Amino acid sequence: MESAEAIYQYAWIIPVLPLLGAAIVGSGLISYNEATNKLRKPVAAFIVSLIGAAMTLSILILVSQLQGHAPYTYLLEWASAGDFQINMGFTIDHITSLMLVIVTTVAFLVMIYTDGYMAHDPSYVRFYAYLSLFSSSMLGLVVSPNLLQVYVFWELVGMCSYLLIGYWYDRDGAADACQKAFVTNRVGDFGLLLGMLGLFWATGTFEFDLMGSRLTDMVSMGTISGGLAALFAILVFMGPMAKSAQFPLHVWLPDAMEGPTPISALIHAATMVAAGVFLIARMYPVFEHIPTVMSVIAWIGTITAFLGASIAITQNDIKKGLAFSTMSQLGYMVMAMGVGAYSAGLFHLMTHAYFKAMLFLGSGSVIHGMEEVVGHDPALAQDMRLMGGLRKYMPITAITFLIGTLAISGLPPFAGFWSKDEILGSVFAVNPVMWAIGWLTAGATAFYMFRMYFSTFEGEFRGNDMEARTRVKLQSLQMAGASMGPGAMSAQELEVSSSAHESGDHHHAEKPHESALSMTFPLMMLAIPSTLIGLVGTPFANYFEAFIHPAGEALTVAEIAEEFDMNEFVRMAGASVAISVAGIILAVLMYRARKIDPAAIAKKIKPLYNLSLNKWYIDDIYREVFIKGTRNLAKGVLNVDVKIVDGIVNLTGFVTLVTGEGLKYFENGRAQFYALIVFGAVLGLVFVSGLT
Amino acid sequence: MDQFPWLSFIVFFPFLAALLIPFIPDEKGRTVRWYSLVVGLIDFAVIVYAFVNNYDISSSGMQLYESYTWVPQLDLRWSVGVDGLSMPLVLLTGFITTLAILASWPVTFKPKLFYFLLLSMYAGQIGVFVVQDMLLFFLMWELELLPVYLLLSIWGGKKRLYAATKFILYTAGGSLFILLAALGMAFYGDTVTFDMQALMAKEFPLRLQLFLYSGFLIAYAVKLPIIPFHTWLPDAHGEATAPVHMLLAGILLKMGGYAIIRMNVEMLPDAHAVIAPGLVIFGVVNIIYAALTSFAQNNLKRKIAYSSISHMGFVMIGIGSFTNLGLSGAVLQMVSHGLIGASLFFLVGATYDRTHTLILDEMGGVGRKMPKIFAMFTTCSMASLALPGMSGFVAELMVFVGFANSDAYGFNFKLIVVMLMAVGVILTPLYLLAMLRDIFYGPENKELIEKEVLIDAEPREVFVIACLLIPIIGFGLYPKGLTQLYDAKTVQITERIRTEMFAIAQNKTPPLPIATTPLLNAPELGNSLGKP
Repeated sequence: MESAEAIYQYAWIIPVLPLLGAAIVGSGLISYNEATNKLRKPVAAFIVSLIGAAMTLSILILVSQLQGHAPYTYLLEWASAGDFQINMGFTIDHITSLMLVIVTTVAFLVMIYTDGYMAHDPSYVRFYAYLSLFSSSMLGLVVSPNLLQVYVFWELVGMCSYLLIGYWYDRDGAADACQKAFVTNRVGDFGLLLGMLGLFWATGTFEFDLMGSRLTDMVSMGTISGGLAALFAILVFMGPMAKSAQFPLHVWLPDAMEGPTPISALIHAATMVAAGVFLIARMYPVFEHIPTVMSVIAWIGTITAFLGASIAITQNDIKKGLAFSTMSQLGYMVMAMGVGAYSAGLFHLMTHAYFKAMLFLGSGSVIHGMEEVVGHDPALAQDMRLMGGLRKYMPITAITFLIGTLAISGLPPFAGFWSKDEILGSVFAVNPVMWAIGWLTAGATAFYMFRMYFSTFEGEFRGNDMEARTRVKLQSLQMAGASMGPGAMSAQELEVSSSAHESGDHHHAEKPHESALSMTFPLMMLAIPSTLIGLVGTPFANYFEAFIHPAGEALTVAEIAEEFDMNEFVRMAGASVAISVAGIILAVLMYRARKIDPAAIAKKIKPLYNLSLNKWYIDDIYREVFIKGTRNLAKGVLNVDVKIVDGIVNLTGFVTLVTGEGLKYFENGRAQFYALIVFGAVLGLVFVSGLT
Repeated sequence: MDQFPWLSFIVFFPFLAALLIPFIPDEKGRTVRWYSLVVGLIDFAVIVYAFVNNYDISSSGMQLYESYTWVPQLDLRWSVGVDGLSMPLVLLTGFITTLAILASWPVTFKPKLFYFLLLSMYAGQIGVFVVQDMLLFFLMWELELLPVYLLLSIWGGKKRLYAATKFILYTAGGSLFILLAALGMAFYGDTVTFDMQALMAKEFPLRLQLFLYSGFLIAYAVKLPIIPFHTWLPDAHGEATAPVHMLLAGILLKMGGYAIIRMNVEMLPDAHAVIAPGLVIFGVVNIIYAALTSFAQNNLKRKIAYSSISHMGFVMIGIGSFTNLGLSGAVLQMVSHGLIGASLFFLVGATYDRTHTLILDEMGGVGRKMPKIFAMFTTCSMASLALPGMSGFVAELMVFVGFANSDAYGFNFKLIVVMLMAVGVILTPLYLLAMLRDIFYGPENKELIEKEVLIDAEPREVFVIACLLIPIIGFGLYPKGLTQLYDAKTVQITERIRTEMFAIAQNKTPPLPIATTPLLNAPELGNSLGKP
């Protein structure tokens, strides 16, 4: 046992290793920029081997935990004032060890993939530094022993996401998207911070278990009202809402696809967005005793699952389609958490991490291939209307993508079937309406994923159709123009027809090619868990649930198997497989056999089609209400500041006025009242000038 | 006095060294700048040496204390000393001022006068933090204004005279109240004394305390600044050059916070117990109001200037929280913002040196040409928006937790204040990221690229920022390293004001009508805010 103890004592190395890598490469970039930028392969090898070491250590820890080693926690006094102190440290238990392995394996494969995908990028080295920094923050998040430390790393992964989305900072799209992602996440963090402070105020601790038990005691004893406890819990849930792209804070995730594809796979599909679900799992001791909160969580998840799928149906950008699909799948996980299916939700987190990472990397491989034909223009290279027939050119990508598609559609024996079926089964037991929505969403999922697969890999290759290219380009400019106001892009639109032909003149190839081994190897590796990993959580031998369960609900595999009811399983699984198959058949008819014309259907249900295509107009509403609102408010305040406050200052006598008035009130003893008047007056002025 | 007079040396050395500058044979400023840098480094080294060897962090009392009779007729004494409150700020002053000297490398216009003024400021700023006599404090406070006035009016931007005049009128006008309040305190009671320790021991009636408190508060509200006494700051910051900027944001604003704790809180605890809720409300106004104005600003320097005002709101709320954690957070926020503000203003200066414009609309897409400045600017902005792992986060978190757990306020009041503070958490990234977006992101601005030579950061600039980032990240990762330096002192202050607060709160039949408005009315206010 000596060596096992040593692994635990040195577990802090896991997040520190990639941090070290990022720090060394980062300082190299700042101080010896050119020299560091030339060391492309050595830097990549260095960073990949660091995460490889972290992965090995994580696997050892998982094995040790599987063998039944007790959880381990190490704490260090981090900040203190008087007799008050805040601790930081790390904790290793079942769920942490599982998350460590998921994060490190996906990160490891994505980093290998990056070498191929970013081979021609001038900032290749910087990208590796960011990736390493992100891995470090994410690993720090999963080993956090208390809510405060989760918040710390929560923000750090958000910052890494900001840096990586804005990696191509000279593109307007990326620049706007990274800002949007950060600010939307900060709105969620606003709630998380308030909820955290509230819970700390009530319970005096940031430890998850203590927080839960003390809060339950206080509510039952009536020290604090149940409503207040629910409020704090829902505020905390705002954090996961933003991070895991749940309605109504989901708007940043689709835009985040402006970042390079490897990070879409790592951050915006497999790991960071799942952090929200992880936090819900961690906060389970608090949430599970407050029914209101659980049903809010469940409903938010359900709405998100449906919303994401309904939008994914009409997307033409392959990455946007996958992004909405991610959002929808995250909705499933959150829904599962909300109905109390703790291990089912985390099971889906794991299976989804592998198959969605593979799908994203596959889309990256496709984009890479497309770029050879249509040039480095994301509007063209990512549009499925210009793809088709790629299976011939990229067989490995096509096969792995098909495996991913089958997995996400929930067909047995692929990974997604087992986890999604477990979720739907648990939901049915709690709320049939919720189940019906989840069930319909499963059908939609199968439909849009096969639509994606068929438009990309089957049929004829459309990438050399110049007219189609011009049409796609024009449309993408119009979409961008719509967001900037009418007329803003008209000059650019005029240039399109000429430039589209121009880029067609000096493209590199007529046909796309299969990507390099560094890109296809991770795809093949990820195909293994995408196919098989669901087998650890089958309802008749659920090793997963025996390992991952809420505190105090430990069951052995045999005990879970005893509860298993074959009839019920066949009914539930039969229903979900049936609707998936229906979705697949519809997709075959529309996009493979071409028996049904999608355009005709779209025309028939024009309003619905537009609603889906325009993402339910949620972005537009936010732009009008929140962005413009804040800008106007800010302008109003500045006007007040410059014209009124400073204006009064420039008119002398202000000081006498305020002191006179102030002292009068001070003498009455109404200092707060005076302050309130000033505050009220300022707010009033702000609103008046904001309106005019 | 059995030991070397460290503090007197630290104050006088830069000033005496500055007096030698006119005699240095140097026209272009090359020798002078090295000379000043060496003086700054020596003084900083002496500060560090003196504190490492003679300062006991477990004690809350005055240390390295020296006292000499100066004008016996007035009982004016040169007395200096440091405690947990001033010690970190003296360190900060030495550090930032030395870096500001390094930041003024490109100054070529009247270099001798410039460095003379910088070194005089060095002395004046430390003087403000170490003197232990009210009259001396007033003198130092005024003395340190003069170099700033000159630095603004000679080396500033286009509207420099307006800005400098506004600055001097505002601060000098405000400081009159210091003198009045100081005189009031000195002559009250049996003994006439200006010594701070003696004044701290005096018992003032509550009514007088409130007058004195208001007097001090006006002066320090200008300096900190507290809205609506802030309008000198955007003008002064908008016109100042980078090194002056660093000092204004890094140190001068901290004098306001320091003096509020030293005088208002320590000497007038009863009044503090009454007025603290007002301080908290103004703190919240600072955070939100200044964040919004910063968001709307199109001028880079003014944007950061408003962001400084916004960050100072946390200091006020921490001071008004009546908890160890809150007060400790307030001091940490002062040090932290000193570092972060200085780094941001330095980078603003560095950017301006290249783009020659401060208007954000005229910039855009310069990230490609200046990747290092881009990286440093992003890092410092992240520090400013309180990213965990950097000192600003810890400070704000301590204020948040401290205030949320304060027993001096009712639940509703706390709820509203904490919520509004948290709105600042959303607004800060809004304006900082929008600023980065405007400067560095997007396609290159062709006009700007053609007109200006955009070279990337030189090693000196990277060095300055690295020096600032090391403590920012260091204290962010391990805040205890800093908080333990002053913990004994903040604990002592909190204990004292909490005793007074509870005494007032429990005193149901007060001798003065004023005391019917104790802090415990605050929940009512919360209610009235909650129900419009």
